Amino acid sequence: MVQERQILYEHLDVPNINTFDVFRQHEGYTRFEKAIAEYQPEEIAQMVWDAGLKGRGGAGFSTGEKWSFVPRDIEPRYLCCNADESEPGTFSNRYVLEKNPHLLIEGILICCYAMGIETTYVYIRGEFTLGKKMLDAAIKEAYEQSYLGENVRDTGQTINIYTHPGAGAYICGEETGLIESLEGKRGQPRNKPPFPAVQGVFMKPTVVQNVETLCNLPFIVGNGVEWYTQMGPTYADTRKDPPEPDRNTGTKLYCISGDVNEPGVYELELGLTCTELIEVAGGLRGEEVKAVIPGGSSAPILTHYELDTRLDFTSLTLAKSMLGSGGIIVMNETRNIVDCLLNIMKFYAHESCGQCTPCRWGTPWVRDIVQRIADGEGRQTTITRPKFGITESGRWGDTGETEEIYEDLDLLENVANNIANVDTMTWNTICVFGIAVSWPAVSYMRKFRPEFEAAIREGKLVTLPIAEATVPPEENYAYQQRFIPKEFADLE
Amino acid sequence: MSNEIIQIETPFQFNEENKREFDELIGRYPVKEAAMLPTLHLAQRQEGYISPAVMKYVAELLELSVMKVKDVVTFYPMFFEEPVGKYVIRVCHTLPCALRDCKVVLDHLKAKLGTDIASETNLAKGTTDDGKFTLMKVECLASCDVAPVIMVNDDLYKNLTPEKVDDILEQLPN
Ligand SMILES: Cc1cc2nc3c(=O)[nH]c(=O)nc-3n(C[C@H](O)[C@H](O)[C@H](O)COP(=O)(O)O)c2cc1C
Ligand code: SF4
Ligand code: FES
Repeated sequence: MVQERQILYEHLDVPNINTFDVFRQHEGYTRFEKAIAEYQPEEIAQMVWDAGLKGRGGAGFSTGEKWSFVPRDIEPRYLCCNADESEPGTFSNRYVLEKNPHLLIEGILICCYAMGIETTYVYIRGEFTLGKKMLDAAIKEAYEQSYLGENVRDTGQTINIYTHPGAGAYICGEETGLIESLEGKRGQPRNKPPFPAVQGVFMKPTVVQNVETLCNLPFIVGNGVEWYTQMGPTYADTRKDPPEPDRNTGTKLYCISGDVNEPGVYELELGLTCTELIEVAGGLRGEEVKAVIPGGSSAPILTHYELDTRLDFTSLTLAKSMLGSGGIIVMNETRNIVDCLLNIMKFYAHESCGQCTPCRWGTPWVRDIVQRIADGEGRQTTITRPKFGITESGRWGDTGETEEIYEDLDLLENVANNIANVDTMTWNTICVFGIAVSWPAVSYMRKFRPEFEAAIREGKLVTLPIAEATVPPEENYAYQQRFIPKEFADLE
Repeated sequence: MSNEIIQIETPFQFNEENKREFDELIGRYPVKEAAMLPTLHLAQRQEGYISPAVMKYVAELLELSVMKVKDVVTFYPMFFEEPVGKYVIRVCHTLPCALRDCKVVLDHLKAKLGTDIASETNLAKGTTDDGKFTLMKVECLASCDVAPVIMVNDDLYKNLTPEKVDDILEQLPN
């Protein structure tokens, strides 16, 4: 049985933890005090690097490494806290904002101290009215207690935090979309490079960091790197010679929704399997797991053959999916994958920012194809090829060979791969929204092809039994390269 | 479109409280334009929607062209360019909510309010005749653990069933 490991969420349900006094009683701000008393800013940045913290917002990029790209001689520098949380299936940041906002402030303070940043904008999605209210109240308290403002705790440093509301656009979660939106424009992502670390908001060096990532900082500083790195699996990166350790440290706020008995946020050490997580979340609601989306709706789907995949950055990347934002959506045997894909494609068609032609036109096109299939109007042709053999009349001749061609499935894959190619991992768009579209489209279709074919053939949605609906591992494109990582300790 | 050509019947202005809040806001950013979204939120809270008069006023406050403001307003789904009902009901319909029967909730609301679902370009379609409600579908509200969910103005309601929806509607003040 997997033990829940409460760190970020430890005090979440303490009454009034959202107030300064109660937060203080639970070690609040002591980690920031420790940081400024015992360490130089550069040492904190080094600790974060050594702790192996990876971004929890989606890309999973090493936080310490990102910080190292920020030029320290250009003033001012900014921190943007990404609280846009719009990836379907993700809801862990919301609880931090609503229940324990001081923890986020402490994380921000540590980041600002380490990077010499004076101004932080917390970009909160517009719908989070309660979260914004709670955070604003906490910020006000922190100013009163001189944890914010000029000369914070006699360090001589000024630190200001401002909340900034979004207005309902998913793409503003993408870091450069967020920056454009923060600057008061349409939230249309920028071309990279230059990366935000060098030229971000107001064209100044900017650190963009997810809420959960920042909430890890107090614990890294408070309990030390060694304590932190004991959590989570370390794999051997065998692409390097000799193999290097590839770490997945810390806990993750796994958000689990869909067909489980107790959906919710579970804080666990990185690296448990899908099956274990479903178990923790009260078990499956239904008879059998048909599919699992492991990292928010953008992540490629996992079939029932893949439930032993460990939910960490390395394992999911090697399984040709991603941990993304940690939003796990479970589907049982009654679900129709065509229908699920249609729902997701409607989401993406609605949310494309419209800057790049492949994304602006391709995404609604993919949606329309899936809609057509779901409506029972998917296109199909039977072609007959010449084939030499014994004909009905008993002579040698052309016997003809017929083959069913599911035109719409080929088209679907073709259009999706022209937005972003999932096999070569190249995209024809400005931001990786393109990948977020074609990844689900292609993976659902390839892994559950019989269900798509059945819908076209029968002229209506048909939910097949799991064994029939799923393409077996040896034929499945993803499995040919599927690779289960080895633990570093297990190497000879 | 230059600022002068737009004919405004009744000009818009922030009330005292919002003016004060705006003055505080504007100091947070090195450029005025960055205050765009919070300013538009304030204005929408006061006026109910972003009318041409609001756009003109915001453009003047932020020293931008009206076109620039309109450009932003049209991008974000949360800003309305037409009047909406007193209560805006947002029904989440993304996958995790769909797996928990959000369609039942949506159909129930449609039947109960006797209205269609608003689209971004036609809000009137989803607004009841008495102007009390506007019904719209939205994407994931980051509350999938308590799906299906709806938002009524600023408040989130969780784990909904048709009966719960009835209770919620009943308790809304007129
Ligand atoms: C389409 C798209 C949507 C995204 N949405 C979010 C989001 O809602 N919240 C978030 O934290 N990161 C989101 N990201 C990831 C951000 O671009 C960025 O990687 C992240 O905020 C960096 O912070 P981290 O390193 O702490 O994870 C999104 C990325 C893309 C491409
Ligand atoms: S890929 Fe899509 S969302 Fe991203 S910038 Fe291009 S059009 Fe916008
Ligand atoms: S899908 Fe409805 S809240 Fe996430």
